[in-house]
Amino acid sequence: MNDVTDAHDLVKKVLAELPAWLPAQRWFGGKDRPVTGVRELTSTVLNAEDPVLVHLVVEVEQQDRRAPYQLLATDQVEHCDATADLELNGRLLDLVARDARIGDLRFEREPGVEIPTGLRGRPVTSEQSNTSLVYGSQYILKLFRKLTPGPNPDLVLQRALQEVGCEHIARPLGSITGVLDGRETTVAMLQQFVPDAVDGWAMATTSVRDLMAEGDLHAYEVGGDFAGEARRLGQAVATVHANLADALGSQRADADDIERSVRAMGERLDRVVASVPELEPYVPALREAFEQARDTPGGVVIQHIHGDLHLGQVLRTVHGWLLIDFEGEPGAPISERTALRSPLRDVAGMLRSFDYAAHQLLVGQPEDHQLAVRALEWSRRNRAAFTEGYAEAAAESVGDPRQRGYLLRAFELDKAVYEVAYEYANRPEWLTVPLSSIARITGEGA
Amino acid sequence: MQEEPRPDAALGLTGVPHTGEAVGADGLLVEPQAEDFRSASLVPRDPAWFKGAVFYEVLVRAFSDSNGDGTGDLRGLASRLDYLEWLGVDCLWLPPFYASPLRDGGYDISDFRAVLPEFGTVEDFVYLLDEAHRRGIRVITDLVLNHTSDAHPWFQQSRAEPDGPYGNFYVWSDDDSRYSDARIIFVDTETSNWTYDPVRGQFYWHRFFSHQPDLNYENPDVQEAMLDVLRFWLDLGIDGFRLDAVPYLFEQEGTNCENLPRTHDFLKRCRKVVDDEYPGRVLLAEANQWPSDVVEYFGNPEVGGDECHMAFHFPLMPRIFMAVRRESRFPISEILAQTPRIPDGCQWGIFLRNHDELTLEMVTDEERDYMYAEYAKDPRMKANIGIRRRLAPLLENDRNQQELFTAMLLSLPGSPVLYYGDEIGMGDNIWLGDRDAVRTPMQWTPDRNAGFSGCDPGRIYLPVIMDPVYGYQALNVEAQLNNQSSLLNWTRRMIEVRKQHHAFAEGDFDDLGGSNPSVLAYRRRWRRPDGQEDVVLCVNNLSRFPQPVELDLAEHRGARPVELTGGVRFPTIGELPYLLTLPGHGFYWFQLVDSGDDGEGR
Repeated sequence: MNDVTDAHDLVKKVLAELPAWLPAQRWFGGKDRPVTGVRELTSTVLNAEDPVLVHLVVEVEQQDRRAPYQLLATDQVEHCDATADLELNGRLLDLVARDARIGDLRFEREPGVEIPTGLRGRPVTSEQSNTSLVYGSQYILKLFRKLTPGPNPDLVLQRALQEVGCEHIARPLGSITGVLDGRETTVAMLQQFVPDAVDGWAMATTSVRDLMAEGDLHAYEVGGDFAGEARRLGQAVATVHANLADALGSQRADADDIERSVRAMGERLDRVVASVPELEPYVPALREAFEQARDTPGGVVIQHIHGDLHLGQVLRTVHGWLLIDFEGEPGAPISERTALRSPLRDVAGMLRSFDYAAHQLLVGQPEDHQLAVRALEWSRRNRAAFTEGYAEAAAESVGDPRQRGYLLRAFELDKAVYEVAYEYANRPEWLTVPLSSIARITGEGA
Repeated sequence: MQEEPRPDAALGLTGVPHTGEAVGADGLLVEPQAEDFRSASLVPRDPAWFKGAVFYEVLVRAFSDSNGDGTGDLRGLASRLDYLEWLGVDCLWLPPFYASPLRDGGYDISDFRAVLPEFGTVEDFVYLLDEAHRRGIRVITDLVLNHTSDAHPWFQQSRAEPDGPYGNFYVWSDDDSRYSDARIIFVDTETSNWTYDPVRGQFYWHRFFSHQPDLNYENPDVQEAMLDVLRFWLDLGIDGFRLDAVPYLFEQEGTNCENLPRTHDFLKRCRKVVDDEYPGRVLLAEANQWPSDVVEYFGNPEVGGDECHMAFHFPLMPRIFMAVRRESRFPISEILAQTPRIPDGCQWGIFLRNHDELTLEMVTDEERDYMYAEYAKDPRMKANIGIRRRLAPLLENDRNQQELFTAMLLSLPGSPVLYYGDEIGMGDNIWLGDRDAVRTPMQWTPDRNAGFSGCDPGRIYLPVIMDPVYGYQALNVEAQLNNQSSLLNWTRRMIEVRKQHHAFAEGDFDDLGGSNPSVLAYRRRWRRPDGQEDVVLCVNNLSRFPQPVELDLAEHRGARPVELTGGVRFPTIGELPYLLTLPGHGFYWFQLVDSGDDGEGR
């Protein structure tokens, strides 16, 4: 690889290798179609030689689709991905620490933050759609891989939360901004790293495993009961919502907002049922549930929300629960990700996640009535505890989700319909999880 | 008025030196003096010995009976010292063995300078001390500073002669209205902190039982008298005291009468006596409170602590049980995160079980720790904890869990305190009243009375355990000594390993977190005087299921974990998170050594 002698050669080499390399990357979102072309959008030389380090934004063409992706290239490692080079990726943190400006790239610390230089970055292996580097167990730098022109909601929302003193986020410490389509665009975000944290999914499934292994005890009797955690998690989510409303405001949804929202749910159902016949029997009940969401007593408050909340987006630390990744649903268009929505969307997302956690051990196993009853019991208990915790800490304008049962139910069903489509396409054996939830929720009434 | 019986007459002290056997012309009671007895030889001086010591709580009554009267005694305990030395015990903690009417397990002391006759004499205690010290084993005992038994001659003098030298030794009042903000500790049995004494015609103050009047620390004579009690035993050679119920020494109107500044001032006086006159002896505070409050009893951190050398870490113990039941490290991680730094010259005492029941009602201030009420509400917890059981039955006699718990006891920050019998996995007898379930005779052999006593079985103070699982015929020291894989031999080996690495004693503690909530991993790091570091890594699987864990050990890149019980070298730590897999309830202790180093350096 040492035949590559300068940045120009390196970029050429990288562009040539990308069509084959990209589809193998976990964070690459376009695995469904072949890469038909890669074009350089911007390149910024961070280090001219020995070793060469280039920040690169490329446009990836996949037949009719084009999307910009961010890369960090070097001549030091195979396939030129510098994020994997522990010596080299430390440069990024150093540049943030120095508030550097190189070409169109702006490296910045948040006000009042001091950052040491010379730390090495370790890539996080569990990251899905981006690449995160951990420095010295203190800092985590998230490089957004697929870029959207403009500020990233992850940074915007967490910055706003930090300003109002929110205790349930990891403190934002810095950012890297570039230019894309002529707009200032967040390409990376630096946050406090919480080394002792465990994600909510691991916590919840540990509790489920404990229950499943018991002979005759109920969910509230076993030592691994999760309800206390679920309740505190509900309080944390409600507090974050209240903080977001304080920082960025909230408003009442008007008739148009509600109409649009209900219509979108119906349209999603149409699309999904067209390809998943198993959903057919529930369509009338689903439509009725969506219609019922129109009349929510007291109206609907909309505001900035997390947008993709589930147990994998929350961290348990020794000081309590944190919410992470405020980017919104990665697949959704930016307009939807930054739109004001009902906080009950997040509540619904978390309720669905409890259902998944309860049932995940049963997927792909022979049917066992006893275990299915256990799973349901765990799910009910922890969903109730989460909702109760949420109600305890919710802002007055948002109120107790249980008082807005129709709306919450519609959001939950909408999410389940989305899951049906996802599981059908990706994990058919999991299809029973959202389907049985839909059957249960529509059968039970509000 | 009916004549009060001489208090000592009922206590069997006739013929042995005791307080009040004579009264001087000045009205002062004659008290035994240390010079009246031989004093024990001392263990070579080491001011920091308690920081790395393995403590062993042993009930004199329960350990060994030398005279066949069915009750364990000091000479009996002395005869078992070889066993304790073999086990690796560094210090014995004896609950009170003073003369007492035994209405509160001996914590109601009726003579600070005499031994309970059924346990022996002061001479027997000196013999025990001497024998222990010869083996390098130290001995500490409980001392109740706050109150005495109402049978104590001081109280008898105080009530009978209000104007005599003891008239002001207790807190007397014409009515029962003072200090009304102080809570009543034993709400089940007491209705007030004041009780009327018909002899003196006044009320006396008591924070505990009404038969335990509080000493009046406002009176300088009381302070001097109690300091002299300390000196009496220290002169005989004792290595320290566990000071019982320390928060209550002083009273002050308008306060809850706990943790008052003057109480700390008196503890500083006690400490000064120890430092000036008996260096190397220790004071251990019994204050069943949150760690952030207990640290007050270590005193001023700027001088390394100037009150007690040690204090028990009460909240840690129930959380170890909770963490394993929940298969989550957070109960332990959280309490350790809330535990403040302690002064340099101090150490925590940690334990899994002791002679009292496990209580979950440790403090009432729920605001300080939101989780506490949460955990106490768990019905299964309440069934398993907060009760009078020994370690083995609490863990359903699961050997893996007993090993896991003991491994954590021996590796978490603090000096471990073992409870007699737990090293062989002894059972309990929940049909016995009060706290006696966990106070049955030590099981030495499969012979009569489990080798504890040669008396008629009917005469023994409590029946030996005879059930099919924990019964003495199968479960006893002799049988386990002969079995290399027994819990006893395992415990001994672990204590031995612990002593080979000073990092366990004084090393800094870092919770390593990790991606798996069921795995508790921590590092103990100690810088040796020669500047070399001793780094020990402890990884505990709190789950009954096998678990993987990835640990961020980037700081130790290039080092090699060497397993401490077998010396097996694990793969070198690289750039990536270090992956370990553990069996259900499994644990590892590693030393981290430089690659190329053979792991001998300690």
